[in-house]
Amino acid sequence: MTDTSPHPDALDPAMAAFITSHLSMQLAATDGAGLATAVRCVGCRVSPDRRRITLLMPRSQALPVLAGIAANGRVAVVFNEPESYRTVQLKGRDARIEAPLPEDAEALLPYAAGFARNLAALQVPEPYVRALVSCAPDDLVAVSFSPSEAYGQTPGPRAGRRLAPGEMET
Amino acid sequence: MSTPLNLDHLRPCLEGMVPSGIATCGVDGMPNITYVSQLMYVDPEHVALSFQFFNKTRENILANPVATVLMMDPETAARYRLTIRYLRTETAGPLFERMKAKLAGIASHEGMTGVFRLLGADVYRVQGIEAVPGRELPPVTSGPALLPALRRSVDALSACQSLDGLIDSFCSSLERNFGIQHQMLLMADEPACRLYIVASRGYAHSGTGAEIPYGVGVIGVAAREKVPIRIMYPASDYAYSRMLRDQAAASELAERLETAIPLPGLPEPASQMAVPIMAGSRLVAVAYVESQRECHFGYDLEDALVALGASAGLAMAALLCAEASAEEAAEPPGGPAVAAPSGEPLRVRHFLRDGSVFLGDDYLIKGVAGSILWRLLSDHQHSGRREFTNRELRLDPALRLPEVCDNLEARLILLQRRLQERSDCLRIEKTGRGRFRLDLGRPVVLVPQETA
Repeated sequence: MTDTSPHPDALDPAMAAFITSHLSMQLAATDGAGLATAVRCVGCRVSPDRRRITLLMPRSQALPVLAGIAANGRVAVVFNEPESYRTVQLKGRDARIEAPLPEDAEALLPYAAGFARNLAALQVPEPYVRALVSCAPDDLVAVSFSPSEAYGQTPGPRAGRRLAPGEMET
Repeated sequence: MSTPLNLDHLRPCLEGMVPSGIATCGVDGMPNITYVSQLMYVDPEHVALSFQFFNKTRENILANPVATVLMMDPETAARYRLTIRYLRTETAGPLFERMKAKLAGIASHEGMTGVFRLLGADVYRVQGIEAVPGRELPPVTSGPALLPALRRSVDALSACQSLDGLIDSFCSSLERNFGIQHQMLLMADEPACRLYIVASRGYAHSGTGAEIPYGVGVIGVAAREKVPIRIMYPASDYAYSRMLRDQAAASELAERLETAIPLPGLPEPASQMAVPIMAGSRLVAVAYVESQRECHFGYDLEDALVALGASAGLAMAALLCAEASAEEAAEPPGGPAVAAPSGEPLRVRHFLRDGSVFLGDDYLIKGVAGSILWRLLSDHQHSGRREFTNRELRLDPALRLPEVCDNLEARLILLQRRLQERSDCLRIEKTGRGRFRLDLGRPVVLVPQETA
């Protein structure tokens, strides 16, 4: 708990800060028969050692995604900053479904407010953003995984490039 | 849900206003997810995705063609999952051009002009639609109800007895029934692959007679591909202000600039739509509408204008045909002799090369319309005639009218309107089916010019 030296698999601090900055997020999983499916997420936190990411989402919207994760643990998450179009995708193979922590429900409103601020630059009305990411606290479910791959996906010819450890998408 | 979901009801999700996510599965079983610039409605069973770069999504769908799209309604935030299967990639043609134009708007909106280049339109079959639960906002109704507006407009068109009246009725319908403030109607000159403005509303200058070549800008692409082109955001690639600059730079003859009639139009339209007006498979005209507001013209308005255009196109073709057949019966009229006008003579110059006519030093019109005016003025000068028929113009080899679809009536309307705008002493007035009169308020001096 008190070890401050970063593990080699730990996320770069800049990446950890980026993905928790109230971005647009969608999580994908696969059903084992070649079909991927997706859900919009409503929160993200990174473990203190930065080796595990937890995404929050409404369970009612995520049923096919959760079934896939329960079956094979493979996930991909896209993080997009609307104003800059900076986009990153993280993937993992050890995802598991977890009960949310009490603070996860408390983070819902700050996330919605932050995401709305991010989208205000694009003239997206705040009530729209709040509806888009609304989630009843008792509907909240968490999915955590250790990111094993990172890709830069900012639109352009370099989109899809695998990011080296510590490298940050620009 | 009592009725199954239909893509026709979900088209606002497919405008690119809220980015959709596309999830694919690699051959190794790993998911991949990315936001897509453009997911476009094709028909109730198909959507198209823009292919701009070879990326993981594309690698995956070529190996495993099934994917899921998560899309959001831009007004209500309602969410839907589409299960889609990749079918083919189109690299040219109407769908490609529609997507290219739309993407230009999105690219410009996202600061990605020059980054987004459409390589193909990937067509997918929609295999399933799932409504994803979640909070929604109430739907907003804005603008006129389109079906009643369409019906009123079609009723008005069917009451028109002349092409002139039909053109005005069409423009008034867009204005009154659809609340469209800025619009142009351009007739197609199929042999020359150009369009010329016969009417416009909402601009300081009408631009009557201004020309747009096929393939240039929203209007030209709509004409060439015979497909509606609609852009939701300001798109510098399709802006006519830029096109004019480019044309001026490319023009080998400086005097072309003097003879060109400036295009009207908003300097930086935020929404644009061009709808081909067809008579069956033949392009008759293009209606162009634009707005200073982003995302102002949706799929439903596009449908309404296509339907109105179909009605207008057939009516235009029928009126042109009726005018032509009425001419058969029309005798070349003599008309009563009229006292010659007095006053300072107007110098009229005609250039053979392009048919252009100048009144004094001011450019009036070129092409067939210019040659028609020259022929009328020459006849008048020689014989004092003022009454003419369409038929004699049609038979005049000097005018070089195409044998089919000559659109003579449309050219006369163009000439008539241009004279109204640019001259205080020359007029052409229709006096009956296939007949018209030349009115002169001043004497004219005709000065033929061999070269421009």
